[in-house]
Amino acid sequence: MNQRFLSRRKMLQSTGGGIASLAFADLLAGASADKAVSPLAPKPAHFPGKAKAVISIFCYGGVSHVDTFDPKPLLKERQGEALTGKGQIVVSQGHPGGLMPSLWSFKKHGQCGMDVSELFPHVAKKVDDIALIRSMYSISNDHGPALFQMNTGFIQAGYPSVGSWVTYGLGTENQNLPAFVVFSDFRGGPIGGAPNWGNGFMPAAFQGTPFRSMGDPIVDLKPPKDITPERQRRWLDLLRKLNEEHLAKNPDDSELSARVQSYELAFRMQSSAVDAVDVNKETDATKALYGVGEKETDYVGRQCLMARRLVERGVRYVQVFSGGGNFGESWDAHWDLKENHEQHCMETDKPIAGLLTDLKSRGMLDSTLVIWHGEFGRMPISQKMTGRDHNPYGFSMWLAGGGIKGGTVVGATDEYGYAAVEDKKAINDVHATVLHLLGLNHERLTYFHNGRHMRLTDVAGNLIKEIIA
Amino acid sequence: MMLRSLALIIGLASVLAAQDIAERATRILQQNCAACHGAAMKMSGLDLRTRESMLKGGEHGAAVEPGNAEKSRLYRFVTGIEKPSMPPGKTLPADQIAILKQWIEEGAQFAGKVEVDAGAAISKMEDRPITPEERAYWAFRTPVKPAIPAVGAKNAIDAFLIAAMRAKGLKPSPKADRRTLIRRAYLDMTGLPPTPAQVEAFEADSSPDAFSKVVESLLASPHYGERWARHWLDLVRYADSGGFEFDRDRPQAWRYRDYVIRAFNEDKPYDRFVREQIAGDELYPDSADARIATGYLRLGPENNLKNEQTRLDELDDVVVTTSNAFLGVTVGCARCHNHKFDPIPQKDYYRMQAVFYPMKPYEYPLISAQEMERYEAEHKRVRDLQKPWKEKLNALEAPYRDRLMAEKKAKLPDYIQLALRTPPEQRTEGQKLNALQVEKTLTIEQEVLLAALSQADLATHKQLSAEIKALEDTRPKPFAAAMSVMEPGREAPASHFLHRGSAGQKGSVMQPGVLTVASRSEWKFPEPPTDSSTSWRRRGFAEWLASAENPLTARVMVNRIWQHHFGEGIVRTPSNFGKMGERPTHPELLDWLATEFMDRGWSIKAIHRLILSSETYQMVSDDNAEGLKADAENKYLWRMPRRRLEGEAIRDSIMFVAGNLDLTVGGPAVFPYIDPALFQSSSRRTWNGKPDSDPSTWRRSVYVFAKRSIPLPMLEVFDRPDSVISCARRNRSTIAPQALILMNNAFVLMEAQKFSERLRKEAGADSKRQVELAFALTLSRKPSGKEMDEALSFLRAGGEQSLLDFSQAMLNLNEFVYIQ
Repeated sequence: MNQRFLSRRKMLQSTGGGIASLAFADLLAGASADKAVSPLAPKPAHFPGKAKAVISIFCYGGVSHVDTFDPKPLLKERQGEALTGKGQIVVSQGHPGGLMPSLWSFKKHGQCGMDVSELFPHVAKKVDDIALIRSMYSISNDHGPALFQMNTGFIQAGYPSVGSWVTYGLGTENQNLPAFVVFSDFRGGPIGGAPNWGNGFMPAAFQGTPFRSMGDPIVDLKPPKDITPERQRRWLDLLRKLNEEHLAKNPDDSELSARVQSYELAFRMQSSAVDAVDVNKETDATKALYGVGEKETDYVGRQCLMARRLVERGVRYVQVFSGGGNFGESWDAHWDLKENHEQHCMETDKPIAGLLTDLKSRGMLDSTLVIWHGEFGRMPISQKMTGRDHNPYGFSMWLAGGGIKGGTVVGATDEYGYAAVEDKKAINDVHATVLHLLGLNHERLTYFHNGRHMRLTDVAGNLIKEIIA
Repeated sequence: MMLRSLALIIGLASVLAAQDIAERATRILQQNCAACHGAAMKMSGLDLRTRESMLKGGEHGAAVEPGNAEKSRLYRFVTGIEKPSMPPGKTLPADQIAILKQWIEEGAQFAGKVEVDAGAAISKMEDRPITPEERAYWAFRTPVKPAIPAVGAKNAIDAFLIAAMRAKGLKPSPKADRRTLIRRAYLDMTGLPPTPAQVEAFEADSSPDAFSKVVESLLASPHYGERWARHWLDLVRYADSGGFEFDRDRPQAWRYRDYVIRAFNEDKPYDRFVREQIAGDELYPDSADARIATGYLRLGPENNLKNEQTRLDELDDVVVTTSNAFLGVTVGCARCHNHKFDPIPQKDYYRMQAVFYPMKPYEYPLISAQEMERYEAEHKRVRDLQKPWKEKLNALEAPYRDRLMAEKKAKLPDYIQLALRTPPEQRTEGQKLNALQVEKTLTIEQEVLLAALSQADLATHKQLSAEIKALEDTRPKPFAAAMSVMEPGREAPASHFLHRGSAGQKGSVMQPGVLTVASRSEWKFPEPPTDSSTSWRRRGFAEWLASAENPLTARVMVNRIWQHHFGEGIVRTPSNFGKMGERPTHPELLDWLATEFMDRGWSIKAIHRLILSSETYQMVSDDNAEGLKADAENKYLWRMPRRRLEGEAIRDSIMFVAGNLDLTVGGPAVFPYIDPALFQSSSRRTWNGKPDSDPSTWRRSVYVFAKRSIPLPMLEVFDRPDSVISCARRNRSTIAPQALILMNNAFVLMEAQKFSERLRKEAGADSKRQVELAFALTLSRKPSGKEMDEALSFLRAGGEQSLLDFSQAMLNLNEFVYIQ
């Protein structure tokens, strides 16, 4: 018991992630007493799961479901009328208006005949790979808590994110890269900041690593230009020799030897991390698929392509935030819905569709779960005349690949798209399903903290069986 | 099997007469359901007292669909088909389930009304008695000073440890040499290494009390408070911003941080330290320090959304942190139900919540009444002077605004324009909403307005704006204030027991209370004087916390002091002394220290002295095969543990040896540089970082602005806690990003540069002397022959950069970042 406990504890101490949770292998190879392993070493799933990796595309600010994936013709019919029969309409700010019709038309797509609006012409071609949930609901109509709930299951900060739980449960396949990578929008990161990809009460090893989309992917990955790799290697060799002198007096301390090894990994990573995100190594055809090189789609296109390259190299969880900063810079269309959603949809539509196409043609879609959502939907009534307010009572999200039954539509909102009414799905249900697709039972994946076996799904969560292939 | 017997019983039940079925079903509801879904309370909005209320249902819809049991929620919950299964915590016997099924199938008629005694039902649900066995659990018994084992040790701590080691066949390690010892004591007590001169003086001091002289000088150092305050700040999740969506800065928060530093430096008795933080305003109303101390109650993250739920969450944060930090128990687990493992009733949670329920944020002015009067008069003066200018400005803008507004309205969707054209009294409900929305939210942006102005008007506009701005600039600066609390008055507003923690399911009104299991009798809360402006609830609670009768407070604190000296506490789960925590490795020693702590006036420095003067503290940390074999975790402390320094101590030590650390104590926080890529500038979350070369940032890390959403990477990477949840024991990771920062970060490179310049300046051009000085500064020792050879060959073979690279290597050494 003690020996096992020791290994576990030492293991948690001797590894980890921090600002860049860069996983690493062999760190403890030199340790003689305690054959502990990295917490990010690959771990067996609870049962065989179809998905091996996850790419999550988070449309921060909140996507309007009634303008994209959930058509409500009644809004046109009754435009300008008050929304009645739904009890007190709760708005996050300002003054609720009347019903506002969608500005875009919907068409049926694919073999399955899924309704998608003209805002997503490219994604619409992929609907036979997509399972759409039209009956999502969440707790908070405030961005910060709603983001936390989507990312961690709880509306407060301080809980581990989904990526942390997944890497805690499965480790990662490439020990020279972070296990969990996060890309932010060029306009800024999401509100709430780092806790959105935080490890909460878990060790730092399970934290998301923010990657830059341009230049060196990780802050402080490399020294200034005037310090050549040879020069750095030379003092690192001196460091190693001096550390080994010290280690010779304490040969049984795995923490000390892990620290010696961490410098070797850091040095190796200077090339492996750069290579992993080098989209110039892709063919022109592949780049074109993602919209790389086109003005509007270049940024997200690169991010999606980098996400694929990372997953290809064994990274377990990649999250891409679309929309950042404040108000109109995100999907938060309080004022001008038309300008806002046309901009954000254009930026993401082709890259996301390209990602699905590329994953499929490489045979990676079956083992890569792609998730698309915001932190809530938007209201069927107007706000500030031409915008829509936050709506956590009903919204849409979709999943594709990794064990998902494509061409499926689950649940429904009411006749206006105000609230989920049929087969309502909670965020806990989605989290339980994501873990399931990865081969993890959400009730068994626990982390002991403060006297309790904590879970991503807290005390709830039902599998969404309808979307599982 | 279960199903088959169920089927049998169903068969039996079907022969029962309808009236009989109705009576039985009503009785089942009465006995099992009515307490939560009846007169006393309607959980989930469901009332099962009558057929009508049952069919009306609750939040989740009708409870019963007469004629169809399978579709009836009531049936689905009692059978467990749907979760959570009902009634909570038990399963109805199969025959009762069968009766309910038949009853629903036959139309679910009631035989009379379901009634239970509401008062009895409530107390049955809310009360959870504590048994004598539960009170006898070690942590809830009052500590009694144990006899010191007679093993011939001078120091009581050694006696307890040696006695325990003997029982296990272990031997303590030998004494460390003086250089190791002084380095250990300096890093441990101040978070900075000793200077070479301090090391040499100690080595040369042959007096018998040489080490206690070192200890006394460390306890007298202002840097002691800076290091030990940090441990406390982790515990109370201190930050300089509010977290959540806006993560607003708290420009006055640093006063609390400085208060903690002062408290440690002055050796403020711990019982007073506790009382000041919980109820400083009620106990010591004239003490500015005590007011600042109540900032503790406001350190938690703050949701920008204000409603009943967020208020309850904020109170929860205070209850959780207070019970973790001061009591070492997890009262927070009892928010929704009685604690699953420890004898902590849910009612204790709500009695503790009632203690804090009346408090409201209050910026307590740290200026005199006259200064306050002047401050307010100044504001009024500026307002009055601005008024005519503002009126002129508005008059100038008005015609432009009207015109622009009309243009904007003309571009609105037709149905909204129609609403505007329709006379108000003829508008439909929707048109009223839309018209109101236009009226309230259609605005003209300032830049659009300016662009529309004529040349002449633009010039006037500029002039008027300049006048207003000039006056604005003469407004007085914000006055110094303490983040504190106040209450609405002597009478506390009522707070309630909340069933399942839900604001919608209020139970009885709660009186303030303490942890029942840790209090021998009902703790009496003081009656406030008639003219009191507060309820004195916090005062009563603080007095209980800091009383000798409390079995937890002293134990928990001495365990924390121990933990920071030895890496692990005597109880290795320092904020959880409950059943799911670990047992003390040395229970008698813990009790001895706790009673000694109280006997010595709750003096923290007295406990430091006891520990530092023990032989245990002075052992070597080296590996030893026998010890490792018998006790690899070193639970018996057969050697001094080796542990990595925290990020703060590493950053501070680097600047200290490089020679540029500014040792000023206290004051507003500082902002070192952070790469913008790490916080992605957003107008709400900004970090006004100064360049690395700005000396204002060369302060100890405890003074770095602690922004919840933008952690300083250098600290974050070394496991700085997130300051959202109380952190009693930091994780200790060893990861590649730590190496990357120490290898590549521009600040570290600048420090290496400064360090190499110092070596050249103080040791001259001689490589051997440079190496000796580098070792003395970073490791407090001389290099071995082999180390000297390695270093010299590195310096000689390299170019002019080699002293810089050597300096950086020294700052990266394991030995430099470990206390051993």
